[in-house]
Amino acid sequence: MKNPPKKTSDSSDIILEVRDLVQVFNGRAVLNGLNFKVRRGETFIIMGGSGCGKTTLLRILIGAQKPTSGSVRLFGQDITQLDPEALDKIRLRFGMNFQFGALFQSMTVGENIALPLQEHSRVDPSLIEMVVKMKLELVGLTGFENFKPSEISGGMRKRVGLARALALDPELLFSDEPTSGLDPVMTAVVDQLTLDSTRKIGVTAVVVSHDMTSAFRIATRMLMLGSGPRQGEIVAEGTPDEIRNNPDPFLQQFIRGEADGPIPLRLSQDDYLKHLLGDG
Amino acid sequence: MKFLVRLLRRNEGKGYWVLNARIYSFLLWGLTNPKVLSPELTLSQMLRIGVQALPMASLVALSVGFILAMQASTELGKLGADSFIPDLVSLSLMRELGPLLIAIIVVGRSGSAVTAEIGTMKVNEEIEALRVMAISPVRYLVVPRYLALVIMLPILTIFGNCVGLAGGWAVCAGTLDMPTSFYIKHAVDRPELWDLYSGLIKSVVFAHIIITIACHQGLNVEDGAQGVGRATTNSVVFSILWIIISDAILTGLFFFVS
Repeated sequence: MKNPPKKTSDSSDIILEVRDLVQVFNGRAVLNGLNFKVRRGETFIIMGGSGCGKTTLLRILIGAQKPTSGSVRLFGQDITQLDPEALDKIRLRFGMNFQFGALFQSMTVGENIALPLQEHSRVDPSLIEMVVKMKLELVGLTGFENFKPSEISGGMRKRVGLARALALDPELLFSDEPTSGLDPVMTAVVDQLTLDSTRKIGVTAVVVSHDMTSAFRIATRMLMLGSGPRQGEIVAEGTPDEIRNNPDPFLQQFIRGEADGPIPLRLSQDDYLKHLLGDG
Repeated sequence: MKFLVRLLRRNEGKGYWVLNARIYSFLLWGLTNPKVLSPELTLSQMLRIGVQALPMASLVALSVGFILAMQASTELGKLGADSFIPDLVSLSLMRELGPLLIAIIVVGRSGSAVTAEIGTMKVNEEIEALRVMAISPVRYLVVPRYLALVIMLPILTIFGNCVGLAGGWAVCAGTLDMPTSFYIKHAVDRPELWDLYSGLIKSVVFAHIIITIACHQGLNVEDGAQGVGRATTNSVVFSILWIIISDAILTGLFFFVS
């Protein structure tokens, strides 16, 4: 009697799957045939230089933008083909932490966190108040319920954004540059919050970042997007150790933060001449 | 009704008329599910858009009543027809000047504020955040403002008409020694109920124009702060333009109907 073939990976374990994703702006492919998967429980870091398409990719992953071609399967459904109503059901299963918080300026911190609960749950207002306090405690902002976003620091706003993203206890958390512009201590605090969410609560996280220290601290898997001549392609993908030991000079320059290397900062002499003369 | 909301959501952001259709689909859905209409948000918008506009609307209405009576007294006085001044002030305010001038004040005060507020929310990714949280910006931001203005503009207009009549009375009583009872009798008896209704119908149409243009401009802001400024200007200019055009059309319609 034959044993049934062993599965190499359980497809139900895959929470996000990107296939042949292409995004073209003005004839330029910002993302060019991307393929990757994120499994449940992972902290998946998407990194790359400025202008490599990280935020564009994130906007496509959350359904805020339609790609030129390709598919994005989130919780088993291709969100590029879903109507807005079905997409909203998917959106209730993930949280999004925006780069600058995207907090509602007219509301207090507490009202910001309470909003998704008020809109999508039928719980008693006193219970919502309690959940708001719990989420604020989670991000170390106990007692800040009645502050307006304009009355707290940038780091605090990022933490409130994270608390709001976690308000509905999502299965998946998207985070856009959660540590950019923060001092090292605040970066460590935000990283610890992400780690607490993923390791303790079991949330899967997809984090867009170009902060290498932070990325290696929280990642279980990483993906590097190329820029310049390698614009739109995946330079490398793997565990933090695999990424560290990858000999790709493009990747190593980015990790070490070196000015000289294959990542082009300026046009070549020929391209520069073409650009000046209007041929390029 | 939910089906209609779903159908229109597929065309979200595709123009002014789709926004109108989406507002009405939410209003119809709200008939069976009042939570859709966010009563608390609507009340707070009624306070901001309507109640807080009362002082400015009153001042304008008082001045208009004053001007009407003064101008009329000069010309009608020559003909010995001073007694018709209350009729003229009352009819002019109810049919035309009340709805039109209050609407123009609300465009400048509230229409521009709504466009700037929603436009700034768009620039700050707050609209995007709402969508990602599966909250429709049209339901959450536009519908409460729409309801608030459609309810409050006619109320402001009635209030403005009363204040304008008081302005007219001040002139008649102060300069023409007209008895107050005479002024009130003529100002109230002369207009028919239809004169009041026609003014209120106009103010509802103006409210629709103001808030849909303001929200549409705000939701379609591009290019950051400059875009917010451009949208706010467009909101005020287009609103005033369409208010005056629709006023002409409605006046024509009422002329033939009555």
